Amino acid sequence: MLMAAAISGENTVMPEPRLTMGSRFEDLLLLWNWVEAQAAEYGIPSETEFAIQLCLEEAVSNIIRHGYRGRPHLAITVDCVAPAGEQEILFTVEDQAPPFDPLAAAEMPIPTSIDEIPDGGRGIRLLRGFAGSLAYQRLPGGNRLTIGFAMPR
Amino acid sequence: MQISTEELDGGITRIALDGRMDIQGAQAVDLKMNLIAGSSRKLLIDLEKVSFLGSMGMGSIVRPARSVVARGGKVVLFNPVEMVESVFKASGIDTLLPIHHELTAAIAALQ
Repeated sequence: MLMAAAISGENTVMPEPRLTMGSRFEDLLLLWNWVEAQAAEYGIPSETEFAIQLCLEEAVSNIIRHGYRGRPHLAITVDCVAPAGEQEILFTVEDQAPPFDPLAAAEMPIPTSIDEIPDGGRGIRLLRGFAGSLAYQRLPGGNRLTIGFAMPR
Repeated sequence: MQISTEELDGGITRIALDGRMDIQGAQAVDLKMNLIAGSSRKLLIDLEKVSFLGSMGMGSIVRPARSVVARGGKVVLFNPVEMVESVFKASGIDTLLPIHHELTAAIAALQ
């Protein structure tokens, strides 16, 4: 029985708290798998996992397109921290791109006709709408965006 | 990401999307969505089996919808799951592209 418990314990290895990915859209598959593993580890409800994916897709795709301007071999790191006793799980996205503070970026106005719906610019509004909290920090040579999501009590 | 089409009575084209409308999903359906939209005036976009929608995925729905409306056509979004619907609502798209959960109401809105 003890042996079985030990083996079972080895099979439930905690997911790595940090994901390092390249600045390529293909690497988002790594991100989805990693988020799924974090969701399983921390018992994140499916609606919250959806919001996490939405916000991380937005943050990471902005870095790939605008921060790194399509250069494919630059690193993006995403960390997951669930501080004990806190009611938020935090995802921190870091890059080595020129300064960009999405909290200070202008939100596109809500369109009033279908002709006005822009091709882009929805992302910042979605980020603000679906994140529980957002914090930006300029790093020496990079950016750090911390996105928090409420956890069930 | 899977995409299929069906011609309904009244000149309505039903596009059924199935899968995740993330960046990869959006890229997978973009061309076909635009081709279908180019030859349709009444478009029912069936989102029932879309499990995720990001901002790029929404663009892949909005762009063809815009081209149909620009030619005097109509577009409705059909039966998204709650979280997918909340993405449309957060963007204000739901007031411009009506969302219906009953097929008869969706079809009626296209007449």
